[in-house]
Amino acid sequence: MYHLRLIGSFAKISAQNEMAYRANFWISLLNSALNLVTGILGVWVLFEQIETLNGWDLPATLAILGVYLSVGALRGLFISPSLDTLTGMDGEVWTGKFDFTLLKPVDVQFQASFRHWHPLALIDLALGLGVLYLAVSQMGSSFTAGSLLSFAVALAIAMTLLYAILLVFAGLVFWSPGFLFTWVFDGIFQMARYPVGIYPTWLQWLLTWLVPIGIITTVPAEAFTGNLNLSMLVGSGLFALVAVICASLVFRLGVRRYASASS
Amino acid sequence: MNPRGGWALIKRTWASWMQHRSFFFLLAFGWMIPPLIYLFVWSTAAGGETVGGLTRGEFVAYYLILILVNQLTYAQTNWTVGDLIRDGSMNVWLLRPMSPIYNALSTEIAGKVVYMLFTAPVALVLAIFLRPEATFSLGNTLLFIPSLLFAWALRFFWGYWLALLAYWTTRAQAFLSLQDSLIFLLGGQVAPMVLLPGSMAWIARLLPFRYMVGFPVEVLMGILPSDELVFGLIAQAGWMVMAMALYLFLWCIGTRRYEAVGG
Repeated sequence: MYHLRLIGSFAKISAQNEMAYRANFWISLLNSALNLVTGILGVWVLFEQIETLNGWDLPATLAILGVYLSVGALRGLFISPSLDTLTGMDGEVWTGKFDFTLLKPVDVQFQASFRHWHPLALIDLALGLGVLYLAVSQMGSSFTAGSLLSFAVALAIAMTLLYAILLVFAGLVFWSPGFLFTWVFDGIFQMARYPVGIYPTWLQWLLTWLVPIGIITTVPAEAFTGNLNLSMLVGSGLFALVAVICASLVFRLGVRRYASASS
Repeated sequence: MNPRGGWALIKRTWASWMQHRSFFFLLAFGWMIPPLIYLFVWSTAAGGETVGGLTRGEFVAYYLILILVNQLTYAQTNWTVGDLIRDGSMNVWLLRPMSPIYNALSTEIAGKVVYMLFTAPVALVLAIFLRPEATFSLGNTLLFIPSLLFAWALRFFWGYWLALLAYWTTRAQAFLSLQDSLIFLLGGQVAPMVLLPGSMAWIARLLPFRYMVGFPVEVLMGILPSDELVFGLIAQAGWMVMAMALYLFLWCIGTRRYEAVGG
């Protein structure tokens, strides 16, 4: 309860902070629109030339894009703004400002994960879900309570997994403060805007097991195609759980290595 | 103009960039991924047949060359010029006895060398695994060199005049993100220009963005009929002169308007 109240005040402060810069709203809107338009046109150009791609047609590929955009939006809502303050050349670990975070009487991992919010990411979330809605109605499948529920569960699992990955990267910063772990991951994560099934087999394997971005976007989209069975859901849920536990361990080990900066 | 000072600056920047090469290698890795995604997408789409007249191997060749051309013409300085104007660090450059364009040029040259040290070997390894198919005729190779130089100059000066808008508005970065999206869509990255649907191909042919990345690749691959080739070279040169003129104009009136910020 206490933690939920804290999240509430973190979100409120962040929202007030952002509202102070009104022009930012328009820039943010422009970037959301660009993201949406490039995503959709990218898929459209492809399906102007061909009917199906390794068994994926236009609506199914658009559904993946919708999930990709929604996952990216949820990440931009709090995970990235919070964790990114640790990393990089002006990050807290490099500059030693992490001292102040450690001194606060709240769990470090909780603070590091929830303290900054970016409410404008909700626009991206609406756009992403909109793309998904259009794609699913094109497929001819209807929205039932069951499919919506399994989508919500699968999306929660996907976000947990993504959070675990980003938390590991945030933890690794304590070993190598200047390394751009997230930049590398972001590059690879872009591959998730298309179904993993269209990549060569070795890359599919890599994208499912080594960097599980396939699970992050493909599994939630499958909730609407009817390909999602309970064992898949439970299996990926367990996988996400193990990933979060391991990630927390890495992060905590990292925090113990922290030796502040300079004197 | 002060060529000797400029040359010293170029040497110094190059030496300092080489020291941080692992950081720049990571940047180069991130830039490789989007064209790589479309390499896989289109080569899967082509399969054993052709799409829009291109075979699987030709798509691989097109995108591997595009990865190199994209990094050779990418003008990252344009992002920093806007920052320099905004935070007032431009003062330092204005006080030196040479044109601040040398500052941008020196990072350009240092950058290209460092990025190519990473990207060229990686592209070579990818070429061994992905088996590109292309025949480079002597004429096309000879035409490729000026079209690559024009593409670099066009992208550099186009981005530079956009960055100079920072003299008037603090939000010039938005124009650069818009430009990056347009290059992605129309510059031959999402698909080779010949594969874009009707109206989009027309827009791509008229606007400058295709001439910054995609056009040199098309020239080297020899996929353009000769009248298209001539039209392209003229359009490219025209846009380049236009970009330079805009840069000179905005530089002259902008610098007069400049009031340093901060201390």
